[in-house]
Amino acid sequence: MKGSSVPLKINAAFVEKILVAFIRDELGRCGCAKALVGLSGGLDSAVCATLATRALGPENVLGLIMPYGRAFSDDVRGAAALARKLGIRHEKIDIAPQIDLYFAAHPTTSRVQRGNKMARERMSILYDFSVREGGFVLGTSNKSELLVGYGTVYGDMACAINPMGDLYKTQVRELAAHLRIPAAIRSKAPTAGLWPGQTDEADIGLPYEELDLILHGLVEGRKSRREVIEAGHAAAVVDRVLRMIKRSGFKRALPPIAKLSIRSVGHDFLYPYDRGK
Amino acid sequence: MKIALAQIAPKLGDVEANIDTHLEIIDKARKQKVDLVCFPELGLTGYTLKDLVEEVALDPASDPRFRRIVAATKGLSAVVGFVLESPEDRGLYYNAAAFIADSKVVHVHRKVFLPTGGIFEEAKFFAPGRDFRTFKAPFGRAGLLICRDFLQYGSSYVHYASGADLIICISAGPGRGVAGGQAFETSRMWELMGEAVSYFSTAFVLYTNRVGSEDGVTFAGGSFVFAPGGRLVARGSSIDPELVVCRIDLADVREGRRKWLFKRDEKPEAIWRSLERIVRAPED
Repeated sequence: MKGSSVPLKINAAFVEKILVAFIRDELGRCGCAKALVGLSGGLDSAVCATLATRALGPENVLGLIMPYGRAFSDDVRGAAALARKLGIRHEKIDIAPQIDLYFAAHPTTSRVQRGNKMARERMSILYDFSVREGGFVLGTSNKSELLVGYGTVYGDMACAINPMGDLYKTQVRELAAHLRIPAAIRSKAPTAGLWPGQTDEADIGLPYEELDLILHGLVEGRKSRREVIEAGHAAAVVDRVLRMIKRSGFKRALPPIAKLSIRSVGHDFLYPYDRGK
Repeated sequence: MKIALAQIAPKLGDVEANIDTHLEIIDKARKQKVDLVCFPELGLTGYTLKDLVEEVALDPASDPRFRRIVAATKGLSAVVGFVLESPEDRGLYYNAAAFIADSKVVHVHRKVFLPTGGIFEEAKFFAPGRDFRTFKAPFGRAGLLICRDFLQYGSSYVHYASGADLIICISAGPGRGVAGGQAFETSRMWELMGEAVSYFSTAFVLYTNRVGSEDGVTFAGGSFVFAPGGRLVARGSSIDPELVVCRIDLADVREGRRKWLFKRDEKPEAIWRSLERIVRAPED
């Protein structure tokens, strides 16, 4: 891989300030002081929970740890340790009973299908706790994942607000270092945790350092396929990334509504998200 | 004279709450013996309005809420950003700025350049203004610009050519780019252009930008005042609300024009002839 990581450089302290204010403002507008974060033991949810803690105070953040049985027990321990370090409440909910019950009735051999079901089960629990707590679910999808569609739609992608979605994975790492996220979490290989041994970089097919440079070139740089290849990336890799972006467009937009009337939801009945809050 | 730039975070769609904020700041400014207080673009309504535009539009001549602000400016001046729907122009909504002095609306500017593209969609919801005019303020001649107006090359030239001592820009400029220092990268662009225009025009350049966030977009603050010839008089923080108060001396305009002879040597008629030819036959 060629190319320098300079274009991905961020001023982490400034980014922290903006994101902390964003979380505080969005919740404040709704008269809501509390936030919920699904803690996986990974980097993104650790950064998100840390930002929420700085924005709202530890007493107003709840971390939900939702393992499938005894799989990923290291991650569960890491997540609990992080919650204790941040001084936030956390709760552990094993999703194995409902998942096993469902797949006993509707068996599958697809691990993606099982993984997606688990991601949506976690979403369902987060939203239930959102009502119990009177708090907002914070999203943890980063820009790299959003662009290549590496996430479960209506699963881990579901949230009330997402403070992380304009930071590439490598930038989340830089922010994590600034936020002093424990080294054990920062040094782990990123994983969606859908099955043991899964890693993002094996699924996506290239390391985040290169993926992020390609994405940055295409998105911020508005470069063409040819220009990105000329910048030093293999044509096959660039094409793979372009395919992933194109195929996952539906995950980044609300579903289209068939227009019939003069003025329709989603077409020309247009109000800001933050209206009148 | 004393100037205040009100770097506030308006509440989206809540005119009453924003009027209260404006009144509080005018009161605060008066206590500090401020002569001119500038509020940001769409300060009475918030920026990301979309279809809310028609709900928050008002006629400054008759709206009782707006009259409260006008009445509050006794003995000082204020620039206020709002959505205009005038009786002569019903059903058309303008992104507007009013210059109010001593309880009178002296001038209303309608934003000419409505950014539409990328994160901006103003031309979808606003009608464009078609004119730049200077006017006589209590302390000198002034011209108003709203946000993108300032970034279009010719706008501040027109104010300069018609004798402005002050070019006053009010803005709802979102921050973009976080690789730099303790401010958004776009803030540098604004400041650089403000500084340049203060040289070109040998006038004061006042820029008031809002803060806060709407629908995930953070507004960059970084309000500033440049004296003629690129002297930074005051600068607001990025992101945080602030009332930036500073003193300026309008005699600096005279001094600037004695030192830099651009204004003396200006030939608006030559510019006009060239522009006329370009407009009539752009291919020439």
